[in-house]
Amino acid sequence: MLKRKTIIAIAIVLVVNVGIYFVGTDGFTAFTAEEARTQELTDHQPLFPEVTLEDSQARTYPFSEFEGQYVFMTFFYSACSDVCIELEENMAEVFEATENLHDQVQFLSISFDPERDKPEVLDNYRQYFGSDGEDWRMARINNQDELQSLLDAFEVIVIPDGNDHYTHNSAFYLVNPDGRLIDVMDFRDIDGAVDRLENVLESEGG
Amino acid sequence: MQSLIGLLLWIFLFLPPVRDFLESMMILHMHMQMPLIILAGFLMAKPIIKRFSSFFEKWNEDGLPGIVLFVLILGYWMIPRTMDDALLSVNVELFKFINLAFLAGVPLRDSFPKLSTTIKHSILLILFIMVTSVGSLYIFSDSQLCNNYLQVEQLTLGWSFLIMGFAITGYLAYVWLFDPDAYE
Repeated sequence: MLKRKTIIAIAIVLVVNVGIYFVGTDGFTAFTAEEARTQELTDHQPLFPEVTLEDSQARTYPFSEFEGQYVFMTFFYSACSDVCIELEENMAEVFEATENLHDQVQFLSISFDPERDKPEVLDNYRQYFGSDGEDWRMARINNQDELQSLLDAFEVIVIPDGNDHYTHNSAFYLVNPDGRLIDVMDFRDIDGAVDRLENVLESEGG
Repeated sequence: MQSLIGLLLWIFLFLPPVRDFLESMMILHMHMQMPLIILAGFLMAKPIIKRFSSFFEKWNEDGLPGIVLFVLILGYWMIPRTMDDALLSVNVELFKFINLAFLAGVPLRDSFPKLSTTIKHSILLILFIMVTSVGSLYIFSDSQLCNNYLQVEQLTLGWSFLIMGFAITGYLAYVWLFDPDAYE
């Protein structure tokens, strides 16, 4: 039989560790930094910084061009051979499924590789996914500082792997008409993203 | 002497260039730096256990609370999130060094000799389950679990966990199939 002291000591150890695990995982909700990031973002709703976009038709305009509209976004680079393709394919499915909402939602894919993703490259790339270049635009941010300020604000982590490729986290981002990030969604859950868009617009009374 | 080596090792591991190097790769971070911090604590343990001998005798008489603490702390640092946090926050980094040395290394030293063979083997079995499940998680997860490390590093770490699991199985199979005492 265990001694009483041993049982008490084990109990204390357990309680202390539950405490450590609790604090370390934000109350058992975030076991990866990505989950923690998503929660933190949707809690704080960072503002989209002032950046200048250049899209696939070589038009340049500030992000505030989309003011008054919801913006459904992804971050990618066109030379990416795995996850970006899946990301943009899934975005295409959301785009098709929400055709009736296109006047209220702007779809936007932002490349974090402006050096390679020139307008003509983007124009070529967008056609693979059925992007029309209007309701769904693909754009780059030429100014490195502006690009970085956006990646920082939305906590998009991009690590160059030394072979002209990047490891990066992927998600659907939803920015509201005031330019605030209101949701970060799992890019593999297409139906969830479509539902979310419909709900947001419904509650708007739109 | 041994505890001095432990202390020096602990300080050495905390030096910024050493830390940067050992944290530059996921596998070095989890399977080199962390075990070394535990080792540092393990080496430093003797004088601490002596100094607080009545405490350890009273509360860790049969070694069970200490080994439970060891296993739980180990488990905590296998959570992907904790590695990212240690890289991003100095406080978490400091917490990691103190935590692994004094809440894993020291109790391991005090507890392990006190445990019966059956319990020792059960602990190894628990560790086996932990490393294989965490290893499989790192290998089979579709997504990148740590934001600061490449996915390919995650895969490497996963296999390293499985190899560790293999080693534990090998040992347990050996002690169960053959009776080591018979050869002594």
